[in-house]
Amino acid sequence: MNWQRARKIAYMVAIVLLLLLLVVLGQPATNPIGDHPGSSGGWLAQLRTKEGFSESQLGEIDPAGETIKLATLGLRGVAANILWDKANTYKMKKDWTNLSATLQQIAKIEPHFIKVWRFQGWNLSYNVSAEFDDYRERYRWVIKGIDYLNEGIRYNRNEPMLVWDVGWFISQKIGRADESKQFRRLFKDDDEFFRRYNDPRPKEDRDNWLVGLDWYAQAESMVDRGADLKKTTPVIFYSNRPMCRMNYAEALEGDGVFAERAQFAWRRAGEDWLLFGERQIPTWEPGVRIRLNDKERLLEEAAKCVAELDKLDPGLRERIRQERLAKLTPAEKKAYEMPAEERRTEELHTLATKAANQLNVTYEQVARRVSGKNFEKALELARKSADFERQAQKINTDRVLVNFEYWRLKARVEQHPDTIQAREALYGADQAFTAGTDLVRAKQRYEKGYELWRKVLDNKQWPQLKEDDKLGEELAKSVRRYRRVLERRDEPFPKDFVLQDIVTLYGKRAEN
Amino acid sequence: MPIENPLPSLVEWFFGPPWYAGAGFVFLGVVVALAVIALLGGCLVAALRYGPAAAVKITGKVLAEAVPDLVRMSPRRVWALTWLAVKESIRRRVVVVFAVFVVLLLFASWFLDPTSTDPARLYLSFVLTATSYLVLLLVLFLSAFSLPADIRSRTLHTIVTKPVRASEIVLARILGFTLVGTALLGFMCAVSYVFVVRGLDHTHDVIADNLQPVAASPAGKAAGAARTGYTEPARGHRHRLTVDADGNARVEAERGHWHEVRTTSSGGAPAYALEGPEGMLLARVPVYGKLRFRDASGTDTERGINVGDEWMYRSFIQGNSEAATIWTFQNVTEDRFRDGLPIEMSIEVFRTYKGDIERGVLGSLAVRNPRTGLIVETEIFESKDFTITKALVPRVIPKAKVSRARVIARKIQVPGGGVEYDPPRESLNPSLADKREFDLFEDLVAGGEVEVWLQCLEPSQYFGASQPDLYLRAADASFGLNFVKGYLGIWLQMVLVIGFGVMFSTFLSGPVAMLATSGALVGGFFSEFMAKLARREVIGGGPFEALIRLVNQDNLMIELEPGLQSQVAQLADRVAEAGLFVTASILPPFGDFSYANWVAYGFDILWNPYIAVPTLRTLAFMIPVFVAGYFFLKTREVAR
Repeated sequence: MNWQRARKIAYMVAIVLLLLLLVVLGQPATNPIGDHPGSSGGWLAQLRTKEGFSESQLGEIDPAGETIKLATLGLRGVAANILWDKANTYKMKKDWTNLSATLQQIAKIEPHFIKVWRFQGWNLSYNVSAEFDDYRERYRWVIKGIDYLNEGIRYNRNEPMLVWDVGWFISQKIGRADESKQFRRLFKDDDEFFRRYNDPRPKEDRDNWLVGLDWYAQAESMVDRGADLKKTTPVIFYSNRPMCRMNYAEALEGDGVFAERAQFAWRRAGEDWLLFGERQIPTWEPGVRIRLNDKERLLEEAAKCVAELDKLDPGLRERIRQERLAKLTPAEKKAYEMPAEERRTEELHTLATKAANQLNVTYEQVARRVSGKNFEKALELARKSADFERQAQKINTDRVLVNFEYWRLKARVEQHPDTIQAREALYGADQAFTAGTDLVRAKQRYEKGYELWRKVLDNKQWPQLKEDDKLGEELAKSVRRYRRVLERRDEPFPKDFVLQDIVTLYGKRAEN
Repeated sequence: MPIENPLPSLVEWFFGPPWYAGAGFVFLGVVVALAVIALLGGCLVAALRYGPAAAVKITGKVLAEAVPDLVRMSPRRVWALTWLAVKESIRRRVVVVFAVFVVLLLFASWFLDPTSTDPARLYLSFVLTATSYLVLLLVLFLSAFSLPADIRSRTLHTIVTKPVRASEIVLARILGFTLVGTALLGFMCAVSYVFVVRGLDHTHDVIADNLQPVAASPAGKAAGAARTGYTEPARGHRHRLTVDADGNARVEAERGHWHEVRTTSSGGAPAYALEGPEGMLLARVPVYGKLRFRDASGTDTERGINVGDEWMYRSFIQGNSEAATIWTFQNVTEDRFRDGLPIEMSIEVFRTYKGDIERGVLGSLAVRNPRTGLIVETEIFESKDFTITKALVPRVIPKAKVSRARVIARKIQVPGGGVEYDPPRESLNPSLADKREFDLFEDLVAGGEVEVWLQCLEPSQYFGASQPDLYLRAADASFGLNFVKGYLGIWLQMVLVIGFGVMFSTFLSGPVAMLATSGALVGGFFSEFMAKLARREVIGGGPFEALIRLVNQDNLMIELEPGLQSQVAQLADRVAEAGLFVTASILPPFGDFSYANWVAYGFDILWNPYIAVPTLRTLAFMIPVFVAGYFFLKTREVAR
């Protein structure tokens, strides 16, 4: 056998081996047809199925997209980049028809690139819509962005963030835009939208906040079934749905709907918020979950443990403190005992902090000084109380992120009949003031509203309400309008004004 | 429709002013310069190979042969060779491209969104773009591989042994492939037309029971039996349908079209059926004016205010001020505009505060006589951006319909800081504004010239416009013809590619000729960008600076770190700029030959200048390309 023939045979053998390897690795899976059982495919196909990466598991298979992908001959990354650049140019040149078409093409080439859907959906609803002067056109582009995201959901049915985004756009973009009044009206009348999304709800329930709430609920159930939240903060993710109830109740009152309907809306909002507080929320620590409502309980448990610890050797904690106090240098002691505002030098601050740290007696330090048979028990109690406090602190961090306590209080306050009547009175007053035709009525309503607000503020159930900056500023702004009514009627501002404390506290801020 | 590089009229383009900037003069200059360079270059090569004396002799001989070769070509022989090229193309199965095109159209509906805001634009852009890609690719292969294949297979030897001139071979190849391409384009044009018309055709059902009675007007006027409602949706939209008290039904325009309504009777009750879409496939004949701006103090400026747009195509004017956007139209005669001036405009609105968003920003349109200064405000309108707003300035304008009439002079800043008025202020006659009615042609048009002023009436709000944003809609041309004109642009591109392909194939092998032609094609599409790079108008520096930024992942906006590396890169860029400038100048700007936007936006492609100028430019490229092809072929041994 000469060398050339041997080489050819070697090539043939190599080709056959490689083909066999290719079959083992890349053979596609087939579905059973009739009596034919179908196959699970090669190693790659099995791996794809196992990890949920096969096209049919990710979402709908689009023949057009698949054709385009094939037509790019493996250069779809390059094609997507070129199209992305084109989309930017079209946006810059305000060629909306071509921008829209190009975004569809990008999506067809890269249907599982979630960031594309999210970025361009946002682009359409927030950036392109803002380019139009006519709010009706703006609304159309907001909806276009929502439709774009919804198409993304079709191809990626396991991506909760796309569903969450739809919820965000419907609730926040429509409900918080400058033209939210017009958007909310158009949304209510958008039969086509509700037909397209197979949403048969009656017209009175077509509120953007309620529709958004349903999308958030859908995203939550996807996550509960195991979908990945990726980099989204869980507590924020879960807060959006109950927040929709709060915003809905606020929007109702903004539209002039009060009485039972508003009260019911606030009650539902409060209930949902409490349910949100009951939810087990994952944290960044793997496997650790918290419940926002648990903070008070945990602090109570901690306090109980501390009390029990203190009982084991009464006065021990104070004794340790006194010992440490005695050990402080005169300079440290002086700086520590000095009122904070008098510590004028850096050195005084450092000394005071150092002294405070030394005087801080931890539970463990107390436990370690307990002698005799109670030592083990003391250590256990110290560990428990510190653990409870640490958990409460963790919950508190998440609570701050979503302003948990503020909204919990707000829902309670707002569903109170006095609050609803107070808001109704001020709404009526504002309407009369804006129309400018009935200043007497405006004045009467303002005064009635402020009387009611006084009652609400003085209610013993929520003493902290007076410290609510947002409410304070809102009332102070209302008082400015009341002043203008009085000025127009040539009447002086009452000396014993019922909300004078609020005006004094927040009047300046409301002017900014 | 945005026209980023508006062309002057054919005469102005060809002859200037100034005369030395006219295309005719520039062409002559370039041809002479190229001829001299080629002659000297050829002479130098010959001198290096055979010595100076022989070089002069050879050059003389080549020239002596070239003149009859180029001038005394036989049409009969050229035709025979052309036909040969046609037959060869058919043998190489060019028809496959047509089949690919048909398959593409069959599946196009998968990718085209008929619910888009402007489906006509989408469909038209698609067919024109797909056709141009396919045809250009086809002729690229045909032209680049033909001659080299003939030389390799020695088919050319049988031709050159006949009494045939090299120039005839080159010309015949160009003509032959052009003929094949033209036939192919013709078929594609016909199929695309049917595809577009059928693809956009739709109608809507009307359920008569869904129509609601129209409420009485606030003035107390009863609306009678009038009813209104929506048609059933189709293609992502529906139309509002109104039936008046007499039973006449009409639908409102939506997505740029409307439908005629046929009223029939079904069981005694009226039934409504909608015809196909109208107003979708248009070819508006625009008369464009020359644009200038007037600033808030009333002084003429070339541009308005930039409100922060990245794309500086439109300039803005401030509301509630003297600022105005002014278009001057020529040749406005009674014959052309018998019923008045039909104005169409598409302006952009920029609000600095929200204002009343339930309505558009108020603006006005006025017509001014440039000679007397009489300006008559004929229209107050509510703005609506990104849509075409129509207005008609009637032949006779009664004073009652005029919101303001006055006489004002143009205020022009002169070099040195002074101000000039046109017409001079002392010659202004304010009584001209006191007439009871104004005649468009007697009072406002002077020697066929008239100005249209656009102003924004609300303080702190702005209107933006560019030159093509306001035009006089002289008439409507045939859409079919305009569609064919759109294909003419592709034809011009095709001819250029054939020219370059044949020229390169006379001295390069097939694959190399194809690469060179592709290079010319791609370079031609980016010639504008190259020219901008050469003029240092691109942010981020020239090619070498860009390379450093690319490697370092530097932002375009920051300065390069000072140092030897940056200095060397910037120095190299200066050299590259010269090369880019030359390359950008000698490559045909293929993008300028595309009429896809004109057809897609529904504008008639104006013969003068938008067809005439590109046609002349194509010719201007083809002459030197053909001559170069001839000389290159002559250098081949086979053609001697």
